[in-house]
Amino acid sequence: MKKLITGVAIVFGLILPSTYTLAAPPDDTFVVGLPTDTKGLEPAQISSRHTANIMKHMFGTLFFISEKGTLDPNLAESYSVSDDAKEYTFKLKEGLTCHDGEPLTAEDVAYTFNRVVDPDLAFVGNSAGFVFPSIDFQEARADSELEVTIVMGAPNHVALGLISEVYVHCKDSYEKMSKEEAAENPIGSGAYEFVKWDKGNQIVMKKAKGSAVSANFENLIWRVIPEASTRTAELIAGNVDMITNASPDQVDAIDASNSAKVQKVSGTRRMYVGFHQGEEYAVTEGGAAIQKAEVRRAIQYAVDVEAICANLLNAPCERATGLVNPNNAHPTLKPYPYNPEIAEYLLDQAGYPRDGNGVRFEITLEAGQGRYLNDKNVVLAICQYLDDIGIKTTCDIMDWSSVYVPKIRKKEAGPMFFLGSGGGTWNPLYDMSDLATVESGPNYTKWTNEEWFKGWKVINNSMDPYVIRREIDRMLEVFYNEGPWLLLYFQPDFYGVSNRVKWQERRDEEVDIFDASLAN
Amino acid sequence: MLVYILRRLPQTILVILGVTLITFIALQIGGDPTYLFVSERASPEEIIATRIKLGFDKPLYVQYLTYLKNLLLFDFGDSLYFRQPAMKVIFETLPATIELTIFSMLIAVFGSIPFGVYAAINRGKWLDGTLMAIAMLGQSVPNFWLGIMCILYISLNISWLPISGHVPFLMPIFQGDFMQGIKNFPTTVTYLLLPSFAVAFYSLSRNARLVRSSMLEVLSQDYVRTARAKGLTEYTVIMRHAMRNAWLPVVTIIGLEFGFMISGVVVVEVVFAWPGLGRTVFDAIAHRDIPLVQASVVVIALFVIIINLITDLIYAKLDPRIKL
Repeated sequence: MKKLITGVAIVFGLILPSTYTLAAPPDDTFVVGLPTDTKGLEPAQISSRHTANIMKHMFGTLFFISEKGTLDPNLAESYSVSDDAKEYTFKLKEGLTCHDGEPLTAEDVAYTFNRVVDPDLAFVGNSAGFVFPSIDFQEARADSELEVTIVMGAPNHVALGLISEVYVHCKDSYEKMSKEEAAENPIGSGAYEFVKWDKGNQIVMKKAKGSAVSANFENLIWRVIPEASTRTAELIAGNVDMITNASPDQVDAIDASNSAKVQKVSGTRRMYVGFHQGEEYAVTEGGAAIQKAEVRRAIQYAVDVEAICANLLNAPCERATGLVNPNNAHPTLKPYPYNPEIAEYLLDQAGYPRDGNGVRFEITLEAGQGRYLNDKNVVLAICQYLDDIGIKTTCDIMDWSSVYVPKIRKKEAGPMFFLGSGGGTWNPLYDMSDLATVESGPNYTKWTNEEWFKGWKVINNSMDPYVIRREIDRMLEVFYNEGPWLLLYFQPDFYGVSNRVKWQERRDEEVDIFDASLAN
Repeated sequence: MLVYILRRLPQTILVILGVTLITFIALQIGGDPTYLFVSERASPEEIIATRIKLGFDKPLYVQYLTYLKNLLLFDFGDSLYFRQPAMKVIFETLPATIELTIFSMLIAVFGSIPFGVYAAINRGKWLDGTLMAIAMLGQSVPNFWLGIMCILYISLNISWLPISGHVPFLMPIFQGDFMQGIKNFPTTVTYLLLPSFAVAFYSLSRNARLVRSSMLEVLSQDYVRTARAKGLTEYTVIMRHAMRNAWLPVVTIIGLEFGFMISGVVVVEVVFAWPGLGRTVFDAIAHRDIPLVQASVVVIALFVIIINLITDLIYAKLDPRIKL
């Protein structure tokens, strides 16, 4: 027994000295802690913000969206639009290369775009599933060595921003790879080149030579740390430089440490409660009530959104006035104030007085759990606010991915449902495109308001920015007064940042490490 | 022995069938998962086409029988989430789980021996009471809580061990780079210590109590009294004569414990960011990645069956009274 104990002690003595200077990053390396791994590194198959944040460091785009919401040159130095506004021609910068040394020309850009819609490859990511249908992509063609044209089926005022979401790569390298190989061996065109992917553990990149985009750190490591408290521990220990999705209940612990702080920003994700306008819910008591714009407007006054943000999200917020982010929102509309007396008055006027039990009508609010910041408690709070004004609300909170998402996608969630929708800072039409048509995928409320949808015809048929902006404002007023959303907040984002580095957060959930630097 | 192994084969097949059926039913309870695999703006036609492509349009019994048919051909299907063969995803993460499980088993089994033996030898004294109180604690605390506490106090406060992460030992060896695996071994162990302890503590505590009670029973036997009367040292009496019989219940439990540990490993892998199969299955369930979950469950079931078989063979070796 003594020999055993001695042996164990020797082994530990040999092993333990190797432990713990291992983990602090060197000065030329920036380490990000992420909650989930990517499901692949195929540039045409990106479908989550986390993966997009990784990919934007490996792949260039024709233009890129700055954190101020401007569209700035990236791989392309300029662009022009045809007279019918269906063709965008980009002029590439000279001397671009991919990470394998292959020159990046217009032919490669055209190949990138055409590959996305290759039926044999059957991509379903953001490009194939959102960008290309939105711009009604027809084809991409190389007009010269450095000029490439993207052809659309119809004019689109947000085309440039959408096209800027497509990650560009070279033709030769991707032609040689199968789809499975491409998903694990990316050859990019951006600031960082791929080194290795230890699945479930980390993705390692190093600075690419001759990239069009500059970056300060030589090495960039994305570490996968699913558990929020573990991510926080790694940040406080100084083993990672920045963590995304810092948990609100750990903000104080991070700020109290001497090694890191939390940077909060009001994001662009629009959080709302949808009022289902479909016939299937119109036959129910609550569903019938919310068909009336007066009832929906009354409910706007019933919820103290600022209190929800301050107490449940640990971040102050300003209530949304519509579905467009504040920097592009209607210039004069003010957020609905919290005023339950007005809510009750309007409900009385709408024909829904309290009965003998104090109830006006009953309704169900459905929500998924675990997707958004403190979602369950936010939903419970909303249910209570509605109860307080006599709307007896049943909160039905279900598993996000296996139960709620299919309901939402089939447009069956309701009569009220809690949801968030990603937005942007660069164009109000991008935010409004959730409700571009009655049949739009994200029109989960099945809203059919004519005054709203006729506005799209005006916008799509005009090239005059003044006319377009005037119509946008008119539509936003319609949405404010009669819209199918209980307007809530823009979800705040919490980033834990080590005191070792300086890094600027963005509102739109995008993570840029290009300009990050050491703090001293 | 070969006959015994062959006799276990029908049992194995039945277990695999049962496991796949239960898993299949459990995964289908959530309904049609097609919507998770199409983009948000997919048209109704695209959704229908995807449903047909993934086979979710067929009746459930057809889906299950098709799965079984493919299983006979060792075709476990493609992961819907990763869009790669399910077995490829599993083999990429299985080595990490094997490392964690084996290390945890070693801690649970060999850690319990001194624990239980010392408690038995010092029965009724403060050492016995203290060790059994620790054992009780070990069977009470959830492993994920223990993991988080270990991170907080051992890793963060005193920086003695890593907080999370993994350096592979088995994977380089499986890929043919033996020297790299050996080179990584010391670092792998440092990353393994805390998660293994979190997984193993429950089993260690239970085994310790088992060793204690088994040892107490054995120490009261006549042959032990005879050994002492012959003048043998207490160490020899315990280690050479008593231990061999006291061990038998623990060996029996090892096979069962392996299956229990696999379930504990799932949560601990998430807490410690350990890139193993447990975490992969956890995420696959959330993503409704039915082929990956089913393939993982079959692989895990096979492991449990093999470990139980080995346990039975070892037990027969240790106890000559047992005939296979």
